[in-house]
Amino acid sequence: MPIIDVRNLSFVYPNKNKILNDISFTLKKGEMLCVLGPNGCGKTTMIQCILGMNKVEKGEIFIEGENISDISMTEMAKKISYIPQKQKHTFDYTVLEIVLMGRTAHISMFDSPRKMDIEISMDCLKKVGMEKFMNRNFNSLSGGESQLVKFARALAQEADLMIFDEPTSHLDFYHELSIIKHMTKLIKESKISIVMATHFPNHAFFFESQGIPTNVAIMDKGIFGAYGSACETLNEKNMEHIFRMKTKVYDNLENDRLLRYMIPLDFK
Amino acid sequence: MSTGKINSKIILTAGFVVPIILVFISLFIGRYPLAASQLLAILKAAITGDHTGFSLMEQTLVWQIRMPRILMALLVGAALAVSGGALQGVFRNPLVDSGMLGVSAGAGFGACLSIILFNSMVLNYVFAFVFGLIAVGLSYSVGKIYKAAPTIMLVLGGVIISSIFSALISFAKYIADPYQELSEITFWLMGSLARANYRDLLVASIPIVIGMAGIMLVRWRINVLSLGETEARSMGVNTALYRGIIITCTALATAGSVCISGTIGWIGLVIPHIGRMLVGNDNRKLIPLCITMGGSFLLIVDDIARSITGSEIPLGILTALIGGPIYIIILKNKRGVGDW
Repeated sequence: MPIIDVRNLSFVYPNKNKILNDISFTLKKGEMLCVLGPNGCGKTTMIQCILGMNKVEKGEIFIEGENISDISMTEMAKKISYIPQKQKHTFDYTVLEIVLMGRTAHISMFDSPRKMDIEISMDCLKKVGMEKFMNRNFNSLSGGESQLVKFARALAQEADLMIFDEPTSHLDFYHELSIIKHMTKLIKESKISIVMATHFPNHAFFFESQGIPTNVAIMDKGIFGAYGSACETLNEKNMEHIFRMKTKVYDNLENDRLLRYMIPLDFK
Repeated sequence: MSTGKINSKIILTAGFVVPIILVFISLFIGRYPLAASQLLAILKAAITGDHTGFSLMEQTLVWQIRMPRILMALLVGAALAVSGGALQGVFRNPLVDSGMLGVSAGAGFGACLSIILFNSMVLNYVFAFVFGLIAVGLSYSVGKIYKAAPTIMLVLGGVIISSIFSALISFAKYIADPYQELSEITFWLMGSLARANYRDLLVASIPIVIGMAGIMLVRWRINVLSLGETEARSMGVNTALYRGIIITCTALATAGSVCISGTIGWIGLVIPHIGRMLVGNDNRKLIPLCITMGGSFLLIVDDIARSITGSEIPLGILTALIGGPIYIIILKNKRGVGDW
């Protein structure tokens, strides 16, 4: 059974044009979906539909076989975790406190985190190598560090599906690699699934070269202009057609492993 | 930063001990001098029934005059500080205080109305309480008009409703009889605990305790709410439900306080800030600390109010005059800690 099954999803904001139009895809355990597309194409809207924050009007979304309109907010948080784009918080919390918040769905209504929740949160911090930062203030972290902490918080939620909204925007080269390496490790070891909105085609090639079944959807004006495996979808033709730019895709053999990457050349 | 952990333990213990010490000290404060031995004998008599070493008048002074006032100061201070702290988290705004959603203005107008129409103490309480809740209800309904930005709309709703009720208070003052009603209205609006007695204390404590207990129970969720709508919901928090619970609890606690003490500003804004500087923003520690610090602060202020001059100074004036400089000093010492 697929982790997530989106069927003919359409969404319209009040008084606005259609944002999402007839989108369908499925994702199995241990698979990755990279959603690419120009700004304003509807990536974030689609994510909010999957998270249950935009009420789906047309079409259906199933999480592990259950229609999301039948799932309570708490149950949803145990199935899907969400890593937003980097932002500061009005009130600062320590790193451990932030990660503990990921446990909220597992904590009953009037309760606070217990010892077990603290242990799980510490484990998750260790998994992303941030345990030394546990007492640091979250707002004082660098972009990459804070993204790793949000990653740990999503792990603490113990959900099978993780959704990332442009996780590497504003990150330096090193931390970009750090985030996608952790994603790779997680999919391979824990068999979770990831949906990721990104601006970088090479992310998809990276996951594919690591042996992860990687799907790519190129979104344009609310529809999937192209959808399929990374190597099929991310080609020069689609980039010209959807992004209106000329690109070149290169293949390199490195230690018997195919490395593929895309570089931009010019406008169409 | 392991020292931070030890510090917060010390602070929380102090938060528990300080109010008890303050109660003892406050029992001595007042026009009528009381020796330590007399006070101890009076307190002991309540348990042992041994009525030696003090007069009946002294006993009445301690139990019927000073004690209810002390307890009321603790209760009202705690309620205002906790409400302020909780609402700051919900609205993700450090400048929010307990009167944010129009409670103070609404209760103030209720009291004015009652003073002008009936001039009965009991009805003053009832009107203040009911109008305080009505004001919050109205703010909440205004906040529902535009659903896409619930917290900003609620703040806006609070501002609108507060200013409407403030205008109504001005109107009430304008038409009030200047020789009797106006002075009473002015006195009420500036806040006082001078009329404290056990009956009022008991009645007011019902909404206050319910409100504070509710906030204590959901204080972990306030942390998550303070990260914002999308993140909180993605972590499984039903934001509309918890916002509703917290607003209802703070409305009960604040309306309960305002109706017996009048409007006392400043506590709901500043005590949570001082708490944040001491133990951080984690509401698991902050909310209990607000309870003890808010109570202690109002008790000290009330001690000063009733002892510094021949006639009492209204509390609303003193909380700002004392709290302001204290706050500046703390800000200065804590400089560099940065974010709230």
